[in-house]
Amino acid sequence: MKDRICVGAITGSFGVKGEARVKSFCADPAAIGDYGPLSSEDGSRSFTLKITRPVKTGFAVRLSGVTSKEQADALRGTRLYAPRDALPGLPDDEFYHADLIGLTVLDTGGTDHGKVHAVHNHGAGDLLELRPKGRKGGVLVPFTRDIVPTVDLTSGRIIIDPPEGLFDDPDSST
Amino acid sequence: MSRSVWKGPFVDSYVLKKAEASRESGRNEVIKIWSRRSTILPQFVGLTFGVYNGHKHIPVNVTEDMIGQKFGEYSPTRTYYGHAADKKAKRK
Repeated sequence: MKDRICVGAITGSFGVKGEARVKSFCADPAAIGDYGPLSSEDGSRSFTLKITRPVKTGFAVRLSGVTSKEQADALRGTRLYAPRDALPGLPDDEFYHADLIGLTVLDTGGTDHGKVHAVHNHGAGDLLELRPKGRKGGVLVPFTRDIVPTVDLTSGRIIIDPPEGLFDDPDSST
Repeated sequence: MSRSVWKGPFVDSYVLKKAEASRESGRNEVIKIWSRRSTILPQFVGLTFGVYNGHKHIPVNVTEDMIGQKFGEYSPTRTYYGHAADKKAKRK
């Protein structure tokens, strides 16, 4: 499990009074302010973020230690990371995408199907995108109890029971 | 203009045949279809279709809420990954 999760990025300054423009990657964009101090990618800088107003493509925010437009401009492109522990706990059968991505996928026979590359939802339930080794592209697996009976975050693996035709047809690869 | 009611919902005949065969066999399988224009009917509920998006078959588990929609609505033709951040997935 990752110990830090990217929740947004600074895209520049807003106005001339030291506010910054931030783009949120959260499911609820305004939640970016709820995860306490956010740090930069290398962890060298930490910011307390206060949302002042919504603006086009994100939020205008006041960052701790940033008092001028020049300082805000210098931070353009900085990604903001929240500690994984700051995210609230979830009920059974609900998982953060960040926790699922990177887990090793095995089937009930013990065959390795690679790792989880991404999680999608196109309106018909969540789908895990697997990247099996030696295969050109990804395979999409519905995230249901029947098909994914076991998700073991501590040991970092998922057990799947794939339906017929999910893996053996070249059409299912990208 | 919406489709006339007297015609009934449109479904490609091969989709109906494949769904019926799958239901009769009772096997757990992905029914591969290319017909994005077909309407989702009540008899498809509980089945898993692989709906072609021009590139690959996207698995679609049909539920009651999806009746009356078209298969193509659940199989996007463009990919956008975005960021995981605090997004959640629910196992149904």
